[in-house]
Amino acid sequence: MKNSAPTRLHSLGQLRRVVKVGDAASGAVRTALRPIRALGFPYRKPMVPKGVVVPADPSKLGANFETGWARSSAAKAARAVVTNGPMRAFVKVVASPQVVGLDRLADLQRLEETPPVIFAPNHHSHVDTPLIITVVPEPWRSTLVVAAAADYFFDKRGKGVLAALTLNAFPIDREVTSRKSSDELRRLIEDGWSVVIYPEGGRSPDGWGQEFKGGAAYLANRTGAAVVPVFIDGTGSIYGKGMKRLKRGTTKVIFGTPLSPIEGESTRRFNARIEAAVAALGDEALTDFWTSRQRAAQGKSTKLTGPEYNGWRRQWALADHRKLGRAGVRRRQTRRWPDLG
Amino acid sequence: MPRPGFVLEVDRSTPPIMFWRGENFSLEKLPAGRSRVIYPPEPLEALSDIDGAIRNALLHPIDQDPLASQMFPGMKLTIAFDDVSLPLPKMRRPDVRQRVIEAVLDTAAQAGVDDVHIIAALGLHRRMHEYELRHALGDRVYDAFHGRGMLYQHDAEDHDNLSVIGTTDHGEVLEINKRAADSDLVVYVNINSVAMDGGWKSITTGLASYRCLSFHHNPETLENTKSLMGHRHQSALHTSVWRLGQVLKDHGPKIFQIETTLNTDMFPSPFEFINKREWEWTAKDRATFLGTTKSLNRTPIKLARKIFHGMEGPHQMTSVQAGETEAVHKLTLEHVHRQQLMEVTGQTDILTLGIPFVCPYNPDGVMNPILVMCMGLGYLFNMYRNKPLVREGGVVIMTHPCYRDFNPVHHPSYIDFFEQVLSDTTSPAEMSRKWEKQYAEDEWYKHLYRTGNAYHGVHPFYAWYWGAHGLQHAGKVIIVGGDPPTVRRLGFTPASTMDDAFEIASDVVGRSPTITHLHVPALLIADVQ
Amino acid sequence: MSRLVFSRKPARFALARVAGSIMPGAGASFGPLAIEPDEELPLPTPEWVRLKPRLAGICGSDLAMIDGTASAYFDPLVSYPFTPGHEVVADVVNPDGTAGRRVALVPVLSCITRGIDPVCPACATGQINLCERVAFGHLEPGLQTGFCSDTGGGWSNEMIAHPSQLIDVPADLSDEAAVLIEPTACAAHAAARYTGDETVILGAGTLGLLTLAAITARNNDRRGPIVVTARYAEQKRLAKQLGADVVCTSDELPRWVRSASKSLMVGDQLTCGARHVIDCVGSTESMQQALQVVAPGGDVQLVGMPSNVSLELTSLWHREVAIRGCYAYSHADFHAAIEIIRHHDLARMLSATYSLSDYTDAIAHAASAGRRGAVKIAFDMRGK
Repeated sequence: MKNSAPTRLHSLGQLRRVVKVGDAASGAVRTALRPIRALGFPYRKPMVPKGVVVPADPSKLGANFETGWARSSAAKAARAVVTNGPMRAFVKVVASPQVVGLDRLADLQRLEETPPVIFAPNHHSHVDTPLIITVVPEPWRSTLVVAAAADYFFDKRGKGVLAALTLNAFPIDREVTSRKSSDELRRLIEDGWSVVIYPEGGRSPDGWGQEFKGGAAYLANRTGAAVVPVFIDGTGSIYGKGMKRLKRGTTKVIFGTPLSPIEGESTRRFNARIEAAVAALGDEALTDFWTSRQRAAQGKSTKLTGPEYNGWRRQWALADHRKLGRAGVRRRQTRRWPDLG
Repeated sequence: MPRPGFVLEVDRSTPPIMFWRGENFSLEKLPAGRSRVIYPPEPLEALSDIDGAIRNALLHPIDQDPLASQMFPGMKLTIAFDDVSLPLPKMRRPDVRQRVIEAVLDTAAQAGVDDVHIIAALGLHRRMHEYELRHALGDRVYDAFHGRGMLYQHDAEDHDNLSVIGTTDHGEVLEINKRAADSDLVVYVNINSVAMDGGWKSITTGLASYRCLSFHHNPETLENTKSLMGHRHQSALHTSVWRLGQVLKDHGPKIFQIETTLNTDMFPSPFEFINKREWEWTAKDRATFLGTTKSLNRTPIKLARKIFHGMEGPHQMTSVQAGETEAVHKLTLEHVHRQQLMEVTGQTDILTLGIPFVCPYNPDGVMNPILVMCMGLGYLFNMYRNKPLVREGGVVIMTHPCYRDFNPVHHPSYIDFFEQVLSDTTSPAEMSRKWEKQYAEDEWYKHLYRTGNAYHGVHPFYAWYWGAHGLQHAGKVIIVGGDPPTVRRLGFTPASTMDDAFEIASDVVGRSPTITHLHVPALLIADVQ
Repeated sequence: MSRLVFSRKPARFALARVAGSIMPGAGASFGPLAIEPDEELPLPTPEWVRLKPRLAGICGSDLAMIDGTASAYFDPLVSYPFTPGHEVVADVVNPDGTAGRRVALVPVLSCITRGIDPVCPACATGQINLCERVAFGHLEPGLQTGFCSDTGGGWSNEMIAHPSQLIDVPADLSDEAAVLIEPTACAAHAAARYTGDETVILGAGTLGLLTLAAITARNNDRRGPIVVTARYAEQKRLAKQLGADVVCTSDELPRWVRSASKSLMVGDQLTCGARHVIDCVGSTESMQQALQVVAPGGDVQLVGMPSNVSLELTSLWHREVAIRGCYAYSHADFHAAIEIIRHHDLARMLSATYSLSDYTDAIAHAASAGRRGAVKIAFDMRGK
């Protein structure tokens, strides 16, 4: 906190300037609107007579938010500009992502008609979505729908429009499995759209992951689309849940081998398999491929959800776990000098 | 449905034929009525589920137990893989070796194996650069194993880490990498680009020492190798290698051989015209060809090289088989033949070859004059079974700029070989007697081979010996478009145009010789009847 | 009857330097060299004799003088105007005007020719090339005949010499062979330091080839290979003929030496190399290369005349390499030279002769001798 005083002084000056500009602007608007103000209904909203109850409109917000327009070709073009321009720049500056494992998607990419897939990443931060949108390879990037919490992203009209336009967000209800939203997602996949679903259902509250909900597995089971497990490391410390401001950092996005449900596999078992795959990727991100395969084979992959116990020990374990990600991997290179006799 | 190979009899309405000329192409008109062009079979369909096929091969090996049941905790497992000399050009990621090795590692992880070493079986080839290892094995394997010192490259001069397995009844000593020799199981991951690869040759050359290699990499053996790509009994080299293989089988470590074959879909868009037959070129192909050649004429050679060596081929796996080496290799050869074998009737007086920018010994490097000889007389000339495409005493005409240019990092001993050995003699037998020892034992070359990215000091000799049979068989070798003093140093005749070359050849084969053109790059084995 | 005269004309000298840098040998047309009528030179003492040159060679140092590239070092050691020409075979003119014995000239103007008595310590031991008095005594300064205004020079029809400067030419040697005695003596002097170890000779011009000839004529103590760098095909052919083990271009040299000396490399520097390097070029490039290929503790011998060079000497310091000059000869070297010429039949090294009046052509030919497949060019004063 050493240098907080000058910062505060600085921001004080800034604040004064902002207030001044704001005053001037609102004055101008008020002046401009004066003639309209003088006019009443029908130029303005009608006033409601006393004792009359206006029936509420059926809500157009939340899970009922209409987003079809966001998948029109005009919106698609506008989104491509946003995605490849400012969003990419933002992600690069804020998260400088390192992307690995794209070669695991090469077989699907090579097919003449690339099938739609379901990306299932873990979820720590709002940064996850722009990050994943910018690193997913073509052709999926331009046909990517993000399943977003209806109660969070679509609670206000403007927020919803923005989310639908820039992220191609699609509202899903995370509390009740609404038939409507899952049916609509299914239809989207059948139309060739790929989907990002965070199976955890929300951002991590404490840095450890949460148990996977069955959404991705269910959709895969119903549509036959493959699920691509993805592990995103590092966004939690950039803008984790509860953080007030962005902190620049580095991230790693690691794609796994696409999974398809095996004949007769239940959604629950498939879901478990997806969770295990993401956990193994987590291991791979924090250690290396061989260690993660060994641990996975022995069933010792670090669980995404962290240890069973609660309280400080949980946080303590997290710190240990994260340390692995920073320094632990970079084992000292043992150079093999040839013996020149 | 890919079409089989095709032999075109050139007539008056045949368009000019495309020839490679190093980092460029040219169109050459072949005389009508007595020329033929051999177009290799078209690329086969690749496997659709490659990873599935690999898993299946590991689960159901030939003449051996499944890989998983051969592994146990506490064992020493060594995985050796073919080096950067193939496939050419490099394949798009993920490389076949990465897929196979990841599958093997998965199996090993399941079995609780901790002690795993991954070794590049490069014999006397240059060590691979990091980016090449990453390309061949993938970043995951590289990052997991290289830092721990568990991924490294074979060193044929590290005498403390070589061990003698045994001796054949012909006195050939089998000496291979010690770690492999001491392992409980050696898994060899191969890519079988051409028919001479694979089988026992994988380990007995890839992990061998110089001493061990010199028993069959010598002028005598290679002059008696009448067909590198054909029947084994025609190849003294393979006979010797198979004898060593028997020693390996009897006294060496347990080996689990995994062999893969690729189709010949070698050039990415927009260079598909390279693989096509000229009369089937579309307007787009012709435009690409013209644009490419015209701009390459004005491109600095270094940039052109960068462009060509940067290409990644779309070729993909057509088969994978695993298990006992000989049984596996038999099946592999069937798959190679399925892609490459075609029947051709009769020999001709002249064989024409377009020499491309790359051969197995200069990935990401310079195609130096010695490699031009090796590629022409060692590889392309040998793309036959039964008998060569050109009659004994006939003429081989190659097209290549044959510049006097070397990559000093990859080919230091090649420069000296060109200046010292070739100015003295071009005879394989004589150079072997007079010069080979000095080059093989040179401390500086050893140092560069062991710590840098240089081919072993003796390697230019091997490259030259590779063409020994061709050199012996051909009455005259002409290089069209080659730098005259350089071509003369090779002992060949320079010619400025194809017509000049035919004129020069007439001294040997008369006024109206018959001509065969091998339409490379696609690989083939011409079964000459 | 005429002679060529080189006078001290600074403006001409500068012009020659410019012309020579554009086209080697062009200094002859633009420089202070001119053809003049003969002039009878006074004899410094009655001992001296008059000579009538038969053939006189054109030497590299002459060309440097003509093209204005010679070092200013020589200026006080030279007296103007002088007649060049120190590679001379001539007839002694008897007092009655008839031709006497045929001699080769030892051009060094040492104490004894200058009437200095007692002679300097170097001359006392016969090492006249190291004479300390070449600018003193009763002669004008001039380190050799051909650079002194009092003695005349070989590029004329008349000159004078001290009897100690005369070596009889055996009857079996032609004039063409005899004109090579002086340069071969130079080579014999250089070859005296040959040790038998691996040796590199840089340059295959006259000096390089003759040094090679001088070394191989001894032929009995060669332990290591002799590597010669040559630029032109004819030079390569001659070097091979004269017994070089390896003939290569200077680009190829480091690789040849490396493999011959089984050395490693650190950067561009060979870790080992040749014990003995004889630089017969004397340019910055050749000397730098000499330092690159010489073994630690080895010797670099400068036979070709260097002038202003700029060298990176760290390796010289670090590897304790010695650079040693090599100038001229003593009388003994002349007798050795006759043997060497006989052994290799060196008369073929004289490629062309010109009359004095064609001196610009002669000098142009000499300046581009290598490129034109020639070795030694000489003036022929024998008449028809």
